[in-house]
Amino acid sequence: MSIASDLIRGNTDTIILANLLVEDSYGYKINKAINEKTNHYYELKEATLYTAFKRLEESGCITSYWGDEKGGARRRYYAITPLGKETYRMRKKGWETAKQIIDKLISDGGEQQ
Amino acid sequence: MNEKLRAYIDAQFQDAPATRAAVELKEEILQNLTDKYNDLLAEGKNEEAAFNIAIASVGDFSELIKELKKDPAMTKEQEEQYAAYKKRKALLTSIAIGLYILCALPIILLNNAVGVTLMFVLVAASTGVLIYIFMTKPDFAKNDPSMVEDFKAWRETSSDHRRAYKSISSALWCLVVVIYFVVSFATRAWHVTWIIFLVAAAINSVVRAVFDLKK
Repeated sequence: MSIASDLIRGNTDTIILANLLVEDSYGYKINKAINEKTNHYYELKEATLYTAFKRLEESGCITSYWGDEKGGARRRYYAITPLGKETYRMRKKGWETAKQIIDKLISDGGEQQ
Repeated sequence: MNEKLRAYIDAQFQDAPATRAAVELKEEILQNLTDKYNDLLAEGKNEEAAFNIAIASVGDFSELIKELKKDPAMTKEQEEQYAAYKKRKALLTSIAIGLYILCALPIILLNNAVGVTLMFVLVAASTGVLIYIFMTKPDFAKNDPSMVEDFKAWRETSSDHRRAYKSISSALWCLVVVIYFVVSFATRAWHVTWIIFLVAAAINSVVRAVFDLKK
């Protein structure tokens, strides 16, 4: 679990951007989507999530605005920018390349145990 | 809004600077935690379990708070502007003070109305330079909300102390003047009674020190 978590953490920004491609969203909703997509296997720590939001916003990949909802809940929504979409495509390509290379490097060459 | 969650987040953020960015981040995190907490309750967890699960996933905010602290209060451009202003201020202040020192020279050398006129011209010039320095100080507060908020927070905490100090100080000086005249007329020892003012200045400094320490 912890080894996989470390690997996933390196892709936090890409994961968040992927979630924002579909629609604008807020922190808890994104984390819930991540949790459900992974069958409750993985979830971001709040601290990691908001640090990533801050980083992405500063680099211009996402923008934020306060939503106005009924019932007093005041949520900060995030939206992806064209630069964010471009970043997402680049990161995704990078990950796919890395995945292929790692698969080749760590394959046991068909050796049976 | 769950009070326990609020208290927990408040404790996590106690080192955070009092800027708008920090307050907004705190509200945002609290709202999202509350959503999570409510979802857990809806799943049938009891309040304590829901609270524990909600805060278990929070993680370590110290990194985030450190970021907030070093949040650039000034942009690069403003910093450069400010550095230039400081240089200009140093140079012009030296010139102004130099002029003040030289202003007695025309009187000493000429010893007539022209000398007095020249002295006033020099005084006017150096005062003008000093005023110019302060008028051209770059104004950062306008485009930087966090700095304004910091200032407001600071003023709120210090204004009560300062007001109390000021009223004590002015009362003290009124009292001292009264004591001075009463004692002097009574004793006729005008040549020593002025010491009362020195004593009063000392007391005033002590009062000020007490207020500064209390802060």
